[in-house]
Amino acid sequence: MLNPYVRKLSTARSIVIIVLLVTNLVVHAQRTPSREYQLKAIFLFNFTQFVDWPPGSFATEQSPLVIGILGENPFGSYLEETVSGEKVNEHSVIVQYYKNADEIKTCHILFINLAETKKGEQVVEALRGRNILTVSDAIDFLKGGGMVRFFTKSDKIKLQVNLEASKAANLVLSSKLLRLADLFDPSKNN
Amino acid sequence: MLVTCISFFAYEFYVFRKTTTEKLSTIGKIISTNSTAALAFDDSENAKEILAALKAEPHIVAAALYNKDGELFSKYSADRRDTNFFPKKPQQDGYRYIRSHIDGFEPILQDERRLGTLYLRSDLGGMYDRFRVFGVVAILVIFLSFILAYLLSMILQKSISKPILTLSETAKVISNQKDYSVRAVKSGNDEVGGLTNAFNNMLEEIEKQNKTLSEFNKNLEQKVSDRTEQLETVNKELESFSYSISHDLRAPLRGVVGFAAILEEDYGNKLDDEGKRIISVIKNNTLKMGRLIDDLLTFSRMSRQDIMRTNIATNKMVRDVIEDLVPGDKKPAIHWDIQNLPDLKGDINAIRQVWVNLISNAVKYSATKKQPQIEIGSFKSNGQTVLYIKDNGVGFDEKYKNKLFQVFQRLHSEQDFEGTGIGLAIIKKIISKHGGHVWAEGEKDKGACFSFSLSDNENI
Amino acid sequence: MNYDSVEILLVEDNINDAELTIRELKKHHMANNLFHVKDGEEALEFIFATGRYANSRNVMSSPKVVLLDIQMPKVNGIEVLEKVKADERTRATPIVILTSSKEDPDIKTCYALGANSYIVKPVNFEGFAESIRNLGFYWLLINQPPK
Repeated sequence: MLNPYVRKLSTARSIVIIVLLVTNLVVHAQRTPSREYQLKAIFLFNFTQFVDWPPGSFATEQSPLVIGILGENPFGSYLEETVSGEKVNEHSVIVQYYKNADEIKTCHILFINLAETKKGEQVVEALRGRNILTVSDAIDFLKGGGMVRFFTKSDKIKLQVNLEASKAANLVLSSKLLRLADLFDPSKNN
Repeated sequence: MLVTCISFFAYEFYVFRKTTTEKLSTIGKIISTNSTAALAFDDSENAKEILAALKAEPHIVAAALYNKDGELFSKYSADRRDTNFFPKKPQQDGYRYIRSHIDGFEPILQDERRLGTLYLRSDLGGMYDRFRVFGVVAILVIFLSFILAYLLSMILQKSISKPILTLSETAKVISNQKDYSVRAVKSGNDEVGGLTNAFNNMLEEIEKQNKTLSEFNKNLEQKVSDRTEQLETVNKELESFSYSISHDLRAPLRGVVGFAAILEEDYGNKLDDEGKRIISVIKNNTLKMGRLIDDLLTFSRMSRQDIMRTNIATNKMVRDVIEDLVPGDKKPAIHWDIQNLPDLKGDINAIRQVWVNLISNAVKYSATKKQPQIEIGSFKSNGQTVLYIKDNGVGFDEKYKNKLFQVFQRLHSEQDFEGTGIGLAIIKKIISKHGGHVWAEGEKDKGACFSFSLSDNENI
Repeated sequence: MNYDSVEILLVEDNINDAELTIRELKKHHMANNLFHVKDGEEALEFIFATGRYANSRNVMSSPKVVLLDIQMPKVNGIEVLEKVKADERTRATPIVILTSSKEDPDIKTCYALGANSYIVKPVNFEGFAESIRNLGFYWLLINQPPK
């Protein structure tokens, strides 16, 4: 029962809204990561509270705690937002992005997100001996020497931990964390 | 006992709350510390496992984890039925008593970062358990105390209250029966025993004093009875004495008078006037002695006898006495003025004696006047009846008034007026015995007035 | 003396009183048949014809009057009175108590025992004489003796 004038107006309006929404979505798609990666970002940050780095890991007490992302950044700005302003044991938490392993100077947690798994293994190999907690989504990450792997089970993000690898890196993982995680047994086949 | 228990319970209640809260808080802290990772990594299964450990503490009926947004993350309930009372959002941190539960909210912190809130609910069963235990213990203690108290009281009773009761019983018996020979039985050497001793000593004293008193009394009574006996003996002696006098004294007098008369009669013609006069003197003296004896006897009898009060018709008595005393020939010579005299209460014989003496005196001492006048009357004074006899005779010197009523005292010489000097003494004696008074007024040569009153008191 | 014709028995221990009494009675010619005993014992013996008078008189011939003094040695007047009045044979004998005692109890006792008269002996001689005279007149001349 709308008069023709109004109808014309509302139609126009709808079109505008749709256009805006789509634009927003597109833009957002670039800035807002998926729910999964939001959680993973939080987890990454949370690791900082359940892992103890050896004394030499920080130059000074004020040195920042670095969470690095090697490869593509799936978190958008979310990780940065999460860690922004946070301090863990006086160390401010910052995010750094790396294209390749050489760029990694000081890093405490490294999220490896390389397209090729083989490359990931190489990185892990290269970082052996350094006190960096390596985290990835890759399926055989732990087999290749990685320390923490995210996997999804029943719509929940779960952790798998390679305790030996972490020990080799002189990292102490809190038992609270370990409780939650599946422990990687090298003898079994994942 | 009860006060102690109540205060104990109150204290325990307070302490229990505190410790329960503390315990709950401790548990809360432990759980919360353990569940940080679960919360951080969103592992609700793990969280549930952690909470499930609370089963070990049966008094925690429910627990829940809330994430940092206040959303319920995981829950635990001791009794699977009750699942709908979990708070929607976590409240203020801390532990509170809500009705019959304790609700607590513990912050879950990891390195000062708040990851969420732990909710714990504990029932007060623990407290009730404790109280139950306390109750049993208390009852036991009370019961034991009662038994102890009872035993103690039995002992005390024996050693303290029983002796005291016995003592008071004894005292009661003694004071009721006035038997001071009773002694309290001493049991034990303690203070009660001391009291018993003192009590018994006191009784002994009382007994002793009583004995002394009663002996004294007895002595007194003995003395009194002795004295009374003596008095009675003396009285009897006096009586028989008077009796003897009246008989034995008179007989020789009679002899003297009689034989003097014989002498006069038979040998009078042989005597000259002097001789006759001498005989007359002998007779007169003897007669006087007789009168003395009579009067003395009367006086003595009056002293000894008790008076018997009866109603005396004074008018009649007075007229009879006058009739007896005054011979017919003397009557016209004396002018009698006798008023209507009131009846008296007294001893008939004694009062008669009074009138005899009074009237004979009045007659005697007014005989010297040409027109003797004797007035007998009465008047009331101070509620007492006074009787008087007035004569216009020779009277007496008021100077010697106090000698009037003494025995053998006369205010006139024998030559002028014969008499033994005992009449008034007798009157006074009699009137005194009646509890009354007698007095006299007189003026030389004008006359005398003798008055007396009797006591109205019938008991004298 | 014929003991059976005694009219007046005078029982009096006082010699003087006895003499005065007899003298007075003699004056009025009343003492012809008067017998005087000096104590109660003899009086009883005489009246009851016992003792020294055992065979000398007849009990039944009583005197017209007995003048009896109370105060006497051995047996006093009261006893005599009692005994005389108790015995049927002699009960009727008139007894006049002639005594110095004016005491009431004596008077009562004597009358209770049956005395016929109670006379007090006055010290006064005239009075005494008059009493005796009257007595004599009365009991000897006026009174009718029993029998």
